[in-house]
Amino acid sequence: MVAENTQVQMRKGILEYCILSIISRKEIYASDIIAELKKAELLIVEGTLYPLLTRLKNNGLLSYNWKESTSGPPRKYYEITEEGQDVLKKLDVTWKELLFAVETSLEHRTI
Amino acid sequence: MNKTIIININSIVFHIEEDAYEILRSYMIDIKRHFGRSEDSKEILEDIENRIAEMFSERIHSGKKEVIGIVDVNQVIAQMGRVSDFEAGILEDESTTTKDPIDYSAEKASSEHVDQAAEPKISAANASYFAKKLMRDPDDKMLGGVASGLGHYFGIESKWVRVIFLAFFLFAGSGAMLYVVLWMVMPLASSRADRMAMRGEAPNLENFKKSFEKEIDEFPALNSRDTGGRAKHTVESVIGRILRVIGRILGVFALSIISISLIGFFIVFVFSWLNLSGFHTDIMFPPLLNMETREAYFALMAGFLAISIPFMSLFYLLLRVLFNAPKMNNYASLTLLTMWCLSIIAVIYFSISTSHDFRETSTIKVEKPLQPATSFVLSERDVRVIDASDEDRSKGRIKAIDEGYSLRDDLAITIESIDSLEKPFIQYNYTAKGRTFKQASDNASDIAYKVKQDGRNLIFDSHFLFSTDKKVYRDQRIDVKVFLPVGTSVTIMNNMDYKVRNSVWIHDCYPGINHKSTEWIMTKNGLKCATANPEEQKDEKNEEEGVTSES
Repeated sequence: MVAENTQVQMRKGILEYCILSIISRKEIYASDIIAELKKAELLIVEGTLYPLLTRLKNNGLLSYNWKESTSGPPRKYYEITEEGQDVLKKLDVTWKELLFAVETSLEHRTI
Repeated sequence: MNKTIIININSIVFHIEEDAYEILRSYMIDIKRHFGRSEDSKEILEDIENRIAEMFSERIHSGKKEVIGIVDVNQVIAQMGRVSDFEAGILEDESTTTKDPIDYSAEKASSEHVDQAAEPKISAANASYFAKKLMRDPDDKMLGGVASGLGHYFGIESKWVRVIFLAFFLFAGSGAMLYVVLWMVMPLASSRADRMAMRGEAPNLENFKKSFEKEIDEFPALNSRDTGGRAKHTVESVIGRILRVIGRILGVFALSIISISLIGFFIVFVFSWLNLSGFHTDIMFPPLLNMETREAYFALMAGFLAISIPFMSLFYLLLRVLFNAPKMNNYASLTLLTMWCLSIIAVIYFSISTSHDFRETSTIKVEKPLQPATSFVLSERDVRVIDASDEDRSKGRIKAIDEGYSLRDDLAITIESIDSLEKPFIQYNYTAKGRTFKQASDNASDIAYKVKQDGRNLIFDSHFLFSTDKKVYRDQRIDVKVFLPVGTSVTIMNNMDYKVRNSVWIHDCYPGINHKSTEWIMTKNGLKCATANPEEQKDEKNEEEGVTSES
């Protein structure tokens, strides 16, 4: 139970970072984000993604455009804002720090 | 062949099978409930609905079908994720993600596959069963399905909940109150998805199938309730087990209380009836004495029905609940209900009409002189003992008693003093009540009571009679006052003790109870002890002499 909790916390933080990174590459649709995450073996259900996207959008990190779709209703395509790019850069720095911290901590571990 | 429903998601129309719709609906309800708390719920829900609509239309465009089925809905839900998955944030089940990654979007994923994947997640999220909802069960109900809903919730058979309700009904009807409140509060499980949520089954394909098959199984035998089955496949909670034991104990307890009460009512009924027909029995419902005999029969019947019908129905309901007795047919229950209403009305009518018979009070005062004597002996004659050798008895009176005329002993005798020079006399106050003042005075004048004087003996009848044929009880009372001149000595036979209590306190003088008679002397202030305390007696005598000589 303790382990699960920590795992969830770790993934939650990373998830936002990953999503922002994926969106920063190009304009993208929600289910394509899922596909990308799946490729990265960070598996989430779509239901988790929508609240996250909405929150990031409301924080001004993302914006979206409606685009017509051939199969069904119009789709929301998300793209990153300038503010989002700034945040992403800060996150990059943080991630590198974290990576260093983790690697250093793990270096001489025996178990 | 399946019934389809047309739904509209974000202005796109879909045909969906009924069962699939139920799943989708319950899923959407869950989602709404989940996101209802967050600020952006509207937008999130729109996104999700949009995506569902898109996935549906993808399915319809890619395949050659026109109708969304259960498989489609389950796959869409699997891709979108359940609320329990949102809570966790991420699909974190290590075994499924790393060793055996399931591609939910794969078109060919078999339904079993989806189910197996869904099941462990659910059991991980909720200890042993899917979050149950407290709802009323329309399939297993006697009134509103409250009991069966509670039964589902606690995982016990509904009959034990019913027993508890019925038992609490016996305690000042609190069970009924609780039931009504719960009835109002608990929503009805109208759809299949609701009913599954109520039973704590996850709204997925397998359970839907199960629910559907069960329904079909149950169809031929409409009366059979799924009482036995439920306990088997639902995990019985500790509370459930406790409630069941309590239910069983209370059930047996309530059954025995009700049956004892019913027997009691019946005994009172039979004896009262016999009493009205002229047999003197020990058991009698007193208010009936106040009524005309013909009315009294009706009132007795009505009263009996008014009180025993609810008990009978309660008894029957308990039997039904505990032992699955067949339901009473509608005619029988309707007849019982009608009889009960009528008897209640009758009881109210008789109560009001009888209380009106007591509205007015009238007293008739009669004074009769007594032959003067220096001493009197007060004794009682029990009129219920008929001395056949007594020539004084008029035939009429004996006859009256034989016919069961009302004998009352609401008789108060007081002994008061008058001046020693006056002649003794006796005063009768006949009191009775009636609907009008006239009737009251009529009733009062109907009382027959006389004290017989035989030399120095005053003989009081133990009871009085109502002299006419109006023998109903109208609170007839007699207050007999014996006025004796100061200085008269009085002997009270012990069978009179209890009737003269308000004028003398026998035990002040005679502490023992084994006395045949008590001796008294009349003073200005009433009767005084004549023998118990010679000293005091002497003083009093002196005092009296002083008083008399002065006057």
